[in-house]
Amino acid sequence: MSAGNGAKSVLRRLVNASTVERILISFAALFMAVVVGAVIVLISGRVATCQTAAATFFGLGFCYDPVEVYLVLFNGALGGPFLLDAPGLFNPNWNPLNFGLALTLKETTLLIFTGLSVAVAFRAGLFNIGTQGQLILGALATALFAFFVAPFLPAGILGGLILIPLAILVGALVGGLYGAIPGALKAYADANEVITTIMLNFIAAQVAFVLVSEFFRNPDSQVVETTPLPDWGTLLPVAFPKGGDFSLLALAFGLALVVAVWYLLEQTSFGYDLRTSGEQPEAAEYGGVDAKRTTVTSMFLSGALGGIGGAIWVLMVMGKWQAGVPSLGFDGITVTILAGNNPFGIVPAALLFGTLKSGSLAVQFGTGVPKQLVGVLRGLIILFVAMPEFFRMIGSSINLETDDDAVATDGGRSLLGGDDE
Amino acid sequence: MSTTTIDQLRDTELSYRMFLAAGAIAVFSFIAFFGLVFPESIWADLLGILISRSTLSSALRLAVPITFAALGGIFAEKAGVINIGLEGLLIISAFTAVITTAVIGPGVTILGLPAIWVGFFAGVLASLAFSLIFAVVCIRFKADQIIAGLAVWLIALGLAPFAATVYYGGVNTDNVGTTLGTWTIPVLSDIPFFGALFDAGPAVYMMLIAVPASWFVLNRTAFGRHIRASGENPKALDTVGVDVSRVRYAGVLLSGFLSGIGGSALSLGLGQFIGNNQTMVNGKGFIAIVAYLFGNYNPLGAFGASFLFAGLEAVQIRLQQVPGYAIPDSLIQTIPYITVIVILALVGRTRIPQAAGEHYDTGEDNR
Repeated sequence: MSAGNGAKSVLRRLVNASTVERILISFAALFMAVVVGAVIVLISGRVATCQTAAATFFGLGFCYDPVEVYLVLFNGALGGPFLLDAPGLFNPNWNPLNFGLALTLKETTLLIFTGLSVAVAFRAGLFNIGTQGQLILGALATALFAFFVAPFLPAGILGGLILIPLAILVGALVGGLYGAIPGALKAYADANEVITTIMLNFIAAQVAFVLVSEFFRNPDSQVVETTPLPDWGTLLPVAFPKGGDFSLLALAFGLALVVAVWYLLEQTSFGYDLRTSGEQPEAAEYGGVDAKRTTVTSMFLSGALGGIGGAIWVLMVMGKWQAGVPSLGFDGITVTILAGNNPFGIVPAALLFGTLKSGSLAVQFGTGVPKQLVGVLRGLIILFVAMPEFFRMIGSSINLETDDDAVATDGGRSLLGGDDE
Repeated sequence: MSTTTIDQLRDTELSYRMFLAAGAIAVFSFIAFFGLVFPESIWADLLGILISRSTLSSALRLAVPITFAALGGIFAEKAGVINIGLEGLLIISAFTAVITTAVIGPGVTILGLPAIWVGFFAGVLASLAFSLIFAVVCIRFKADQIIAGLAVWLIALGLAPFAATVYYGGVNTDNVGTTLGTWTIPVLSDIPFFGALFDAGPAVYMMLIAVPASWFVLNRTAFGRHIRASGENPKALDTVGVDVSRVRYAGVLLSGFLSGIGGSALSLGLGQFIGNNQTMVNGKGFIAIVAYLFGNYNPLGAFGASFLFAGLEAVQIRLQQVPGYAIPDSLIQTIPYITVIVILALVGRTRIPQAAGEHYDTGEDNR
């Protein structure tokens, strides 16, 4: 490349400045979402019925106290290291390997996969809302593959070592193929991927439901689900309590994938093609990138990551496929947007959102605020991250110089060529 | 705009409509032929369903939320703001309409207005409020329209079940016990088959008025001209002294108003809001987007496409009641979604307004 060192260092400075700004915006967005969420909690506390008011403001009693809600949420997600009501601050009986923390890390692990899935497509300039559907079908493929292959394998650790990687691979393959469909539709028929992936989500949920209820249903169960896998064929909890459904192995796998995706995007020529076709499609075409193929491949990759998320959900959490798959794919959108599409940013973003999700159970139990609150926060976070101009105006009013760079559907980092006009 | 581009536009518009009409006629004659030749087959059952009056009336009912959302989407996108949050507007208005009716009490009237109609307007107001937030975020704060629209959807998808749980303890609301009911026009409603047009819920009549009215506003008024210019060539609009931002606000708010009618009609037609999974809206907002793309941003075409999707849904529901075919319901339910994808793939290269999705800076500081 003919670009001199001087130009490179300028670029690097730009990237760094933008990273700092992105982190600031993400935190500001999170803060704003939490504030608006608190207002919503407060208002709904007027509507809900309760014996005694939890909080009193302006002479009005409210059923829910927002500050308490967030304290309970945070404390619950960590498994109660603090004593919120008692005089001593710290809970002497707190054990880091607890149930609450296991729940948090379980959610974090799953969100790393779905977050990566959305991020890969995002970097290629594609908005994959279909991670949910890819996850549902990937999960089903994993569950069915593991169920039918398990009898031919020796029970025990050896069998698990063969079965689990293969089952994850099958999940990735099916998720990837399902993701490639909207990719191909986008590349060759110009069909907007936002709409097609959303439609494919509906189709995936229905088809998976029919397949299980008609053909692969567990005959001993009242709900629509497949027959549970043997314990040796699943990812069992290490160190953490059994009920938390969290395996350190899966988290390690997720972190390894984060590094792998980062390497693929930033250090390989395929990653370069993918990013340029997302940031500057015309330039990519001009540089000899087959944009159509890149679109299909990146959607396959994105779907495969979603499929792996589904595989981990089956192998680590459920031990089977069950109708009513949680909306991990949609949460992945929030995680990615919060992370500014950066693979390494996905880890803290997933941890944050995992904390919200697992803490919401403690909130429902402890304060009566429905756990659906997380669904509201999910949307609010996206809304606030989407409007950096808002924070820029606040920033400029307190004299904080910031850069011009929004999370956008053109692949996120439009640093090199300025804004698209 | 030169005359050649206008001609081209007319051509594409015409070919889409002809494609739609020809396709529909072909499918219908196919079914009619086999249905008449083999009276005992599935085709005969299908034919029976297609020409039954109750299918028409349920297709009209099901078309209401899709059509209104699609009309709203046209105004927003023509003005230059892609509103992908239509689904969220439908969800929030559907929920607000029911909860307001329930809180007031179904039998109560306020200023002579029955509670259910107060609820109806409250739903429209909620949708308007959401679209105002969306407009401010997109126009004032220059957010990416797709992401902001997605946020509107996800916020509504979270908020409605959350609020329902606060009030009712579950994600579904209770049934309020009344619905919007039907307005029957004497004599005309006795016409076979087409009588369904004159024996329908109030929202169906509103839809039949709103479609031509939207077409008229968009194509025959100064306001409509501003809307179209704001999406095609905002600079020109600015040059002649029209505030582009204001026109865009109007377009987005109109999308909120129209979607609100669709959402309120959807839930109040049933008397209940269902909030599990994707809620009772279940993708209708996204189907609406495809409907107006298929209709090439023409309100009449968008209605045609919405009616097609709704008709598929109506046939699908009736097909579930026909005994003897071992097709699982869930599989039949995917038909409308698959059709949407196929149609989007066929008409994918629609000509979206030139400046849609882009921010417009007036050059001066934003007020």
